[in-house]
Amino acid sequence: MSEYVTQQDKYVTFKSGNEYFGLKIEYVNEIIVYQEITEIPESEDYIKGLINLRGKIIPVIDVRIRFKQEPAEYNDRTCIIVINVKDTVVGLIVEKVAEVVEIKQEDVLPSPSIGNDDKSQNKYVYGIGKVGDSVKLLLDPDKLIKDEDLIILDQTNEETMEEGE
Amino acid sequence: MAEEFNTQGMLDIYLFENGQLLERLQEIVLEQKDAECFDEESINEIFRAMHTIKGSSGVMMFDEITKISHKLEDVFYYLRESKPDNVPHLELVEHVLQVVDFITSEMIKIQNGEQADGDAGDYVEALDKFLTVIKSGKGEKEKNIKENVHVEPEQFYIAPMVTNASHYYKIYLTFQPDLPLANVHAYKTVYALKEVAEDLLHYPEDIISDESSADEILENGFKILLQTRSSEEELRDIIKEGYDIRKADIFECSAMDFKAGFDSIGSEIRIDLDSSVEAIEAKADEAREGNEAKSPAAIMREPVKDVIAPGDFVIESKEPGKGKRLAKDKPKKHEKTSFISVDVAKMDMLMDLIGELVISESVVLQNPDLRVPGLKLDNFNKAAGQMTKISTDLQNVIMSMRMMPLTNTFQKMNRIVFDVSRKLGKDIEFEMLGEHTEVDKNIIEHISDPLMHLVRNSVDHGIETADERLAAGKTEKGRVTLSAKTESGKVWIIVEDNGKGLDREKIIAKARKQGLLDPYKLDADYTDKEVYQFITLPGFSTNEKVTEYSGRGVGMDVVVSNLQAIGGSLEIESTPGEGSRMIMKIPLTLAIIDGVVMEVGKSSFVIETGVVKEFIGIRDEVMIHKPDGQEFVMIRGECYPVLRIGEWYKLDGYQANTNEGMLVLVEIEKKMICLFVDRLIGKQEIVVKPIPDYIRRVKGLSGCTQLGDGSIALILDAAGLVE
Repeated sequence: MSEYVTQQDKYVTFKSGNEYFGLKIEYVNEIIVYQEITEIPESEDYIKGLINLRGKIIPVIDVRIRFKQEPAEYNDRTCIIVINVKDTVVGLIVEKVAEVVEIKQEDVLPSPSIGNDDKSQNKYVYGIGKVGDSVKLLLDPDKLIKDEDLIILDQTNEETMEEGE
Repeated sequence: MAEEFNTQGMLDIYLFENGQLLERLQEIVLEQKDAECFDEESINEIFRAMHTIKGSSGVMMFDEITKISHKLEDVFYYLRESKPDNVPHLELVEHVLQVVDFITSEMIKIQNGEQADGDAGDYVEALDKFLTVIKSGKGEKEKNIKENVHVEPEQFYIAPMVTNASHYYKIYLTFQPDLPLANVHAYKTVYALKEVAEDLLHYPEDIISDESSADEILENGFKILLQTRSSEEELRDIIKEGYDIRKADIFECSAMDFKAGFDSIGSEIRIDLDSSVEAIEAKADEAREGNEAKSPAAIMREPVKDVIAPGDFVIESKEPGKGKRLAKDKPKKHEKTSFISVDVAKMDMLMDLIGELVISESVVLQNPDLRVPGLKLDNFNKAAGQMTKISTDLQNVIMSMRMMPLTNTFQKMNRIVFDVSRKLGKDIEFEMLGEHTEVDKNIIEHISDPLMHLVRNSVDHGIETADERLAAGKTEKGRVTLSAKTESGKVWIIVEDNGKGLDREKIIAKARKQGLLDPYKLDADYTDKEVYQFITLPGFSTNEKVTEYSGRGVGMDVVVSNLQAIGGSLEIESTPGEGSRMIMKIPLTLAIIDGVVMEVGKSSFVIETGVVKEFIGIRDEVMIHKPDGQEFVMIRGECYPVLRIGEWYKLDGYQANTNEGMLVLVEIEKKMICLFVDRLIGKQEIVVKPIPDYIRRVKGLSGCTQLGDGSIALILDAAGLVE
């Protein structure tokens, strides 16, 4: 309970393109520096491949490609945010991790939806958080890693289950 | 009071011990199911096992288990003492198995934290009837058999059975001060002594539910009056002075003293040389004080208190003091101390960690910082060698920890054969070979169901009825053989029967009906193997009548899919009229495979060594290009399709020049394919890890692994590639 209280309203913010995004801290396992990624053939473009996280093998996705932004070169500021959404552990490659901020519930506005052409980005954003003068786009991690792949993914899960491993 | 008593630990031990006993029991019974009757040793052992279960169930207050085990104990008591002839042996075997089943199911309930609410009434009744039958079956020689009366099992008072060989002892136990739960330790001793006792009294008498007795025991010691045929040395063997018992004084006394109970403490006729006079006197005083409060001798004769009841534990034996102790038989005790059960998740974690250790080891040992010219590394290298050795050992140990013999699984099959053959009225001999073959625990869990199915099928469909067998000129007795062996990196489990074999015509007819056959192909064009594979298709059963055990057509397909899930396969061989052979080929372990590591572009791939036939370096000239882009290669007159991994997976920077790369010839299920890779890295044992569910399944990939340098390699699934 106490953990929940201290985590409430805290967001990890990171930069991708020109925007700052926020992720609820309760989803975040850890943040690691960029490391060598093993490509997986025949997977979606935003799934960059697999990394070895201390013996556990986890998939990583590139947030920029996921948001249909121009892919950026990886440098030493590039980080991988390891998130855990409903027991799926996924790494998010982001340009730069900014900070952990507190955004009160009342400062979170629903995501605007007028004249919205750029659907690709909007569907992951469930709200906009105000921090002082700046705004952070708050991400729904569930949608971020799944969404339109949901159907394919479920099939995959079934298949994998059948395979036992 | 009882609630305050910490029963969880006791419950665990109870479940564990009884589980072992029941397993052993089943084993004995099945071993001798074909005999005329049980031999004396088995009868004794079953009796003892039942007695132990009864006792401990009584303590744990599982009344129904107590009742039923008591009843069975009665039966075996009778068998042991009267040695009646004409016991319907198979009926007895069934009774015993029923009891085992009942207790096992109750124990499962207990384990799951449910109430053990099963009703043993029917079984008890059946056993009663059975007992009456065997009793009346023979003009029993009057052997002065005492009715084995059931008593409240919390009591350990034992009806006096005076024999000339009996000795009487007074035993004083002094426990280590501040020993926690001294009453439990005292109980342990009583429990051990019970096995040799003809009569036994102890003070304080309520050591099970009365927690305060622990303090009393610590303060005043624990006193036991014992009538037994064992010698003092044997008793000392049972009561070992150790971490709990600081001092055990054993005095022999007369029958008179014994009868007088704890009052006669002053009149020792023998003094243990080890103990000082003061100590004995002190103890005598203590005992007297204790008796003033409550004279056990008085209690002994007070039926209201219900402390003494006749004859719960009457053992008459031919060899005084010997053998009975076997009830706490050595192997069991051995297992108790040398086995612990560990959560498999923890084992997996340990394995992951060891994998990490190996990787970080290579990071340290091959650190570029060490490559300074002129650096003396002799001692470093020596230490490094030692470390490598230890980490290799560690890896081997964790691997061996996951391996388990197939014995238990096979034992279960023995039971199934027995049950099914009895039900169907077939006389079947069951043989097990190679049951000590070790397989990864995960795999054992996966093969139990398929194996059960195959065994049932053999008994149900394979073996004919006795009449049919005689008509076919075979022995009346059918035979089912279950064997296991390791062959070419896989474990083969073979279920073989000498029954009628598979009916090719019937299968083909059925397959035609279901439209599985090519209508333009003749029946004779199908090989036996192809035909037999049809029975592994869903919904395919040639059996006209559905029996309790099989014939519903769900089965063989499930068997095959279960096997495929663990990378195994099923082969069916059959000779009409002579029997069939089902061969399950399963990998030794899911976790580790021997693999060949290769590189394509920047990616590493691994393929299981077992499927690799050959590595071939070739020139472009021998390649045959079909117009649609498919490539073939001619090797020694044989033509194989070629799959360029780099092209197939659209990797970056792969070797396109045929002359530079390497061909890997792979054979899977009689199909051959050549994989074209950039270069070979080497052969190594790899730890298989699943590709995370998140990533869509890729054809031809079955998992991934970490290589020594921490990078990830993808495991190629040969079967997937062939498709």
